[in-house]
Amino acid sequence: MIELRDVAFAYEDAPAFTLAHLDLDVAAGTIMGIVGASGSGKTTLAKIIAGFIPSTEGGTYRGTASVAGAVLSEGTLTEAVDVVGLVTQNPFNQISGARFTVREELAFGLENRSVERSQMIERVNTVAATLGLTPLLDRSPYALSGGQMQLVAIASMVVMAPPVLVLDEPTSQLDPAGTRLVYDVLGRLSEGGTTIVIIEHKTELLHEHCDAIAVLAGGRIVSTGTPASVFADDRLSTWGVGQTRITQAAREARTRGLLPATEPLPVGVSDGAAVFGTNGETR
Amino acid sequence: MNDLTIRIEALRHTYESGVEAVAGVDLTIAPGERVAIVGQNGAGKTTLVRHLNGMVRPTEGTVHIGDWSTSDKSIAELSHRVGYVFQNPDEQIFARTVESDVAFGPKNLGFEPEQITESVTSALEAVGLAHEAQVHPHHLSLSERKRVAIAAVLAMRTPIVVLDEPTTGQDEGGVRLIASIIDDLTARGITVVAITHDMDFCVENFERVVVMARGTVRADGSTEQVFADQPALEAAAVEPPQLARLARVLGWSETAVDPSSFVDAFERRRRG
Amino acid sequence: MTTLYLERASAVHRLNPVTKLVALLAIIAIVFAVPQWWVPLGIVVFVVVPAAVLARVGGRLLRLFLILLLPLLVVLFIVQGFFFPDGTTVLWQWGPARLTVEGLVFSLTIGSRLSALVLGSLVFVLTTHPARLMTSLTQAGMSAKIAYVISASLQIIPAFQERARSILLAQQARGLEIAGGPLRRARALLPLIAPLVLGMITDVDERSTAMEARAFGATPRPTSLTVVDDPLSERIGRWLLAATAAAVIVLVVVGVIA
Repeated sequence: MIELRDVAFAYEDAPAFTLAHLDLDVAAGTIMGIVGASGSGKTTLAKIIAGFIPSTEGGTYRGTASVAGAVLSEGTLTEAVDVVGLVTQNPFNQISGARFTVREELAFGLENRSVERSQMIERVNTVAATLGLTPLLDRSPYALSGGQMQLVAIASMVVMAPPVLVLDEPTSQLDPAGTRLVYDVLGRLSEGGTTIVIIEHKTELLHEHCDAIAVLAGGRIVSTGTPASVFADDRLSTWGVGQTRITQAAREARTRGLLPATEPLPVGVSDGAAVFGTNGETR
Repeated sequence: MNDLTIRIEALRHTYESGVEAVAGVDLTIAPGERVAIVGQNGAGKTTLVRHLNGMVRPTEGTVHIGDWSTSDKSIAELSHRVGYVFQNPDEQIFARTVESDVAFGPKNLGFEPEQITESVTSALEAVGLAHEAQVHPHHLSLSERKRVAIAAVLAMRTPIVVLDEPTTGQDEGGVRLIASIIDDLTARGITVVAITHDMDFCVENFERVVVMARGTVRADGSTEQVFADQPALEAAAVEPPQLARLARVLGWSETAVDPSSFVDAFERRRRG
Repeated sequence: MTTLYLERASAVHRLNPVTKLVALLAIIAIVFAVPQWWVPLGIVVFVVVPAAVLARVGGRLLRLFLILLLPLLVVLFIVQGFFFPDGTTVLWQWGPARLTVEGLVFSLTIGSRLSALVLGSLVFVLTTHPARLMTSLTQAGMSAKIAYVISASLQIIPAFQERARSILLAQQARGLEIAGGPLRRARALLPLIAPLVLGMITDVDERSTAMEARAFGATPRPTSLTVVDDPLSERIGRWLLAATAAAVIVLVVVGVIA
């Protein structure tokens, strides 16, 4: 669904390329997690996949990025947003600023797509309900907390049902309950065929919900694979990415000879329980 | 050097909208203590800590910072004792360069010129942004702006520092940096009160945890105690740290919250 | 919300905003076309005020009248009533001040026109939610882009206030004393204006991209979530209002009304 081939980008006046020689494949209907330290180029990558770069950003762009068979750099942003929805890092700048209630805000994109009114109402109500926004529908978008605004920004993109959804740190201002809500919605969308790319620091959640992980370091993809393989990689911390506490504990247990070196390191609670459970009972 | 006890007594706060965000809180924090406040969004955490520097005033009850009652002091007066880092750095940063933004507090607090330079430099060094001193804050990333906001409060050298979700948007290195800043504050006898959703960060950096739900304190105690208090955590919808959840799945009675103590417990169990 | 709109359940509120707008424009056209001072006064007394009472915004209208309009009318009466240069029929004289019939009529004419214009506009604003106005105007054929620009400018004030408020709070939290009353507060706000405006401009840049990402401008005829009813009776009413205004203007021009 998403194919990046030898993509490179340097911002105007920047001394170096933010991304270079980047190849990435995301299969249709899967969730890809992008991890990497701050400054590794994650946001730039998100903007390239969404067609924002090069169309809205000056600089040097090379390579091809195609989404659903269309090469985005050859079309306009309006064409790109038919295929890809981008939830940006700052939810405040994602809201239209021209709508007086959350309900109207959520409908904004659908109005622009000339969606019929009855269908619009139904879609707005459904998405609001799944993200817990129903009680806020009649509030002003300016009277929301940071977390609520973040949920509105996500909902405003989800409601448009693009075939590809790119989210740049969408849960940074949410509590664990709100974060779970977002991941549940993404999981359901992916089951329905939506392709999702998510930039996120929360390793445990990515392990639970993603089909594949790509690690970005210094503007290049240094590792891709299943969450279990990528997150158990010894080199993860050298790339500036956090390992879960369970992986850290398992590694320590391994060095102390308490776990066999042959078994893969666990990442989450369920695989952790399997590893520590079976090896704890043996003697 | 810090002898300011924070005393919150029978505190209630009701917003104009009628929402009672803090509904009866008693809390005492000793000088130099570090306390994490956890709970869902809307539990009243931010409203509670905004009382500490007078940005929110008690509807009922009192808040004392040492011998001062916050009800009698202006926010500016209280800023001599309490530094407050906002959750959203963009609500806080306004100057044209990182350096001048960080210098704003020390200037208002009446530092001598050389003291201002010194405190600004060391604060920027602490957050790893000394090389960005002359940059416009708009050109920094969100995680860097968050660190500018922290530096702006560090430079004030207050005996009490309040951090509203300091690790938001930070990568692994950023979280480690903030943890080391907190260690440094403690070493200097400074009281640290932090709101956080990051439970791993919470258990590894705070010896005391306060759990809030619906404007009240549901649990308050040592980190081990609090994360063993399953009913309170469930009532507050707080998810325990990963290793505590694993221990529970394994049916362990003890709660090991960091990797080393978890492996120690694992070893003891294997030996039987 | 910083607009004057007052939420009420009334027939005036329920009217299609375009109808109210046409009525307002018709009133303005008539009061400025007709030379007689009692015509605008009659419209204020028999149309504008009853509409405000019916809409249950009379109290607010009175308050706005006292603050905005009354001082202006008093000044107008004194200046034009006593110092009207072409006044010949003197009623009372004291030094250079001469109260003349011509001056009185002139100040009454201007004052009643001004009252009809200002009070009529106020009733319109008090009873019309901006969102409904924008929707009805786009339904009536106004371009979505123009509607967006108008709505966004209405929203920029509360956004700006919110931002200024939070930064002022943050500055106090870093030792800025502003307890000395409104003057000190204003002085604290002054240096904020430049960075706030700059910040807004940066936001506008980012937001315009975000708008494109939400397909803004993708179709020339977007649909609308909110729909404002436009019954036949109101459409007929609008034509009648427009026709009346046109007829009055024609009668004035040909000299039937003089």
